[in-house]
Amino acid sequence: MNRYMERIYNGVIKENPTIILMLGMCPTLAVTTSAINGLGMGLSTLAVLIFSNMIISMMRNIIPDQVRLPAYIVIVASLVTVVDLIMQAYVPGLYSSLGIYIPLIVVNCIILGRAEAYANKVSPDLAIMDGIGMGLGFTISLTVIGLVREFLGSATLFGKALPELCKPIAIFVKAPGAFLVMAVLVAVLNAAHIKTAANKKVEGCDGCCASCSKMCNSDAKEETKA
Amino acid sequence: MNRKLFNVSSGPHIRSKLTTGSVMADVALALVPATLFGIYRYGLHAFLVIAASIFASVMTEFIFDYIAKKPNTVKDGSAVVTGLLLALSLPPAVPLYIPIIGGIFAILFVKCFFGGLGKNFMNPAVTARCFLLISYGSLMTNYSVDAVSSSTPLAALKAGETINVTALYVGQTSGVIGGSALALLLGGLILWVMGGITFEIPLSCIAAFTAFMALFGGQGFDPVFLLAHICGGGVLMGAFFMATDPVTSPVTSRGQVVYGAVMGILAGLFRVYGTAADSFSYAILISNMLVPFIDKLPIPKPLGYKNGEYKERQFPKAAVNLTVITLIAGLALSSVYMLTKDKIDEQKMAASAASYQEVCPDAESFSYDDTVNAAIEALGGETYDASFGKTYVNEAVVGEAADGSVAGYVISVTSGDGFEGNITLAVGISPDGTVNGISFTELNETAGMGMLCGEDAFKSQFSGVQTDAFTLNKAGGSTADNEIDSVSGASTSSGAVVNAVNTALAFYAANMK
Amino acid sequence: MNTSLIMIIITTALVNNVVLSQFLGICSFLGVSKQIKTSASLGGAVIFVMAISSAVANLLYTYLLAPLHLEYLNTIVFILVIATLVQMVEMFLKKTSPAIYQALGIYLPLITTNCAVLGVAITNVQDGYNFIQSVTAGVGTAIGYTIAIILLAGIRERIDESNIPAPFRGAPVVLLSAALMAIAFMGFGNLAL
Repeated sequence: MNRYMERIYNGVIKENPTIILMLGMCPTLAVTTSAINGLGMGLSTLAVLIFSNMIISMMRNIIPDQVRLPAYIVIVASLVTVVDLIMQAYVPGLYSSLGIYIPLIVVNCIILGRAEAYANKVSPDLAIMDGIGMGLGFTISLTVIGLVREFLGSATLFGKALPELCKPIAIFVKAPGAFLVMAVLVAVLNAAHIKTAANKKVEGCDGCCASCSKMCNSDAKEETKA
Repeated sequence: MNRKLFNVSSGPHIRSKLTTGSVMADVALALVPATLFGIYRYGLHAFLVIAASIFASVMTEFIFDYIAKKPNTVKDGSAVVTGLLLALSLPPAVPLYIPIIGGIFAILFVKCFFGGLGKNFMNPAVTARCFLLISYGSLMTNYSVDAVSSSTPLAALKAGETINVTALYVGQTSGVIGGSALALLLGGLILWVMGGITFEIPLSCIAAFTAFMALFGGQGFDPVFLLAHICGGGVLMGAFFMATDPVTSPVTSRGQVVYGAVMGILAGLFRVYGTAADSFSYAILISNMLVPFIDKLPIPKPLGYKNGEYKERQFPKAAVNLTVITLIAGLALSSVYMLTKDKIDEQKMAASAASYQEVCPDAESFSYDDTVNAAIEALGGETYDASFGKTYVNEAVVGEAADGSVAGYVISVTSGDGFEGNITLAVGISPDGTVNGISFTELNETAGMGMLCGEDAFKSQFSGVQTDAFTLNKAGGSTADNEIDSVSGASTSSGAVVNAVNTALAFYAANMK
Repeated sequence: MNTSLIMIIITTALVNNVVLSQFLGICSFLGVSKQIKTSASLGGAVIFVMAISSAVANLLYTYLLAPLHLEYLNTIVFILVIATLVQMVEMFLKKTSPAIYQALGIYLPLITTNCAVLGVAITNVQDGYNFIQSVTAGVGTAIGYTIAIILLAGIRERIDESNIPAPFRGAPVVLLSAALMAIAFMGFGNLAL
């Protein structure tokens, strides 16, 4: 498979950030109250991811190793601010639905995780494709989870009402419902024996933020060196 | 160290009592009175709700056991009890998919996925109820039957209305299917007698709840108010049947008392400061979450400890005893107070009636006026006006003549500026504003001096005068009608009396003219 | 905003619990909550970091960003403040209490990427809180986080994996526990304060 397509395949399926790597739980649980919200958040993250991967890859030889993390944070935070302002200007409806979760893209494990685990090691073209792949994977997952919750919780699909069999189970568009859907999702994957970060025994982090822990592990090594 | 092999943890290790089919059967039996009453009162649909809930719970457990290749646990009856409890806590007119969804959720998500019987950390029926409350808010709080809408007694209480507690007690008011307090109490006692539950949890829960409501509910120790709150809102069902679930409650006796108390306090908190009447369930869930910590409270005596190195924790027990005693005392006192209140009011009226009659001879009876009473309450027990010194308006009544017309007004005022203490007097004012006269109900001044204020010679100076205010003439020899000669040598007492009368006149002018 | 401080604490800690209601701080919430002791330690660290970061963020916003009309830089500024603070806490703990430092392991630097810390700083700005209110909100949020994580730890210490159906072992049962906790916490949403 062509190297670029491989990145896409990796991001969407093999190492899907939400389902397999279990990164970025915060926005996943929070914004998937409807498919549209999930889609919106996914696309915003996609945009940031592409550019952050690209920039960090381009600068991989310039950024000194010790200040790696703060540098990444500044870059990502700036990109997020840009996305925030653009959204505020052009899609205010979506902007207010996503609310605080837009600036929180900064601390989305996916972005920093990919920067650390991949983008600073490869050339920009691959980094961009990886960003597209991961971003697409994230977007698709969020949209699907959003669809499920929307269907169960408000009996609509992408905002269009469905004929009512029985009244929707509203809890699914509320906080407990998010946890419920995630729990069942991971259980289903476990039952299908799909290897996810949840059932891989990762030292330290019990399943979540696997890439983050890799990043932080190298941080820890740094501490002992210094 | 591989934690899976060596599970080193402090006791207690055995968490749940043996919940065999017989204990579950006892619980189901104890719920029969409430169930029967619910069906009797709410009819066929209620029966269907109960049936649907039990059916869904049992089938879910059966199917799950089958798919998961586990031994069939339906026989132990816990699914039946869960289904029954859930149904009894639902409004009678809910569409049938509600108990079905609730039952499935309770068994599957709260029990089976955690490992089945004995492994759940929250009560399945209660959790399912809250799940339904969150998902189907309007359906779950709609207590109308057959399109006759009604508000629950608790909602009425919150709105400030009074309710018929007896009806609530028996179960004739609108509410959930298992809402008959009488039936639940009966069932709870039966269960306790049969040994299915211990008394610690229901007692501490209800006691703590009652204490909280009495202290913070805004109506003091009013027994009617407290009883209404205990009988409504799922308190009895929760305390006897849901909180006592051995799987989700502490093991030790002391822990159970703490658990019940915490639940009662939380329930009171939600009742008083919450917007929903339906909050006892949440109190149960939150208490469930605290059980692991409550279980750690009583420190077990480790092996090998010498005597004296480890002190028994007596404090919580003593505190609980004290609370219960205070509660009972409070309730007893308030009951007596409520019974004697009217009689005491009558007596007080009779005592003052004599002096009121003196200053309003044409009146046959005296009555209170609401606006005037409100004005007095608005004074809030403060002095009326600084210019009158320390004077307080006690009460003001309207004198009614035999033909129903207003015979006059009587205002009772106290002045704290008397030489020896308080002076209380009644000022009679005729309908046209003339002062009829004054009469003392409290005069403890110096004999031969201040006491002379009570003599007719002094008192008559006030009679028949129409004025806005009197003035005191210490030197004597008054000329104007509204000048009052002070009793010689007792200008303080006289002054206090004049101020009191002026207070009455001012109050009259402001509120009763 | 004239909300009394106690109301702020109760609202941020219980009614809008940061983890169970706002989904901030999930990663460490799910990761650290295996034992009550570690959870309590992490909670303590979070309270400390959140209190100070709320204070510093508020000061920076009020006296630097707002007057210079650079409000849109708040995300960058806040995250840098938080990253620095966490570094300082790390060094402090390493020197004074190596045991706790070891126990917390990776989770300490993870506080940087803990959405909750950045989230509360941004929410304070959005709610227009003054300095005292910001710190109170930060502390209240962190207390809510600590309560949630300790409660979950209490539950997890009890879970006996051997009886749980295979697909649900590990993360799903933890997520399920969080779901049930979230249901219970919705009871606080009824409090009219």
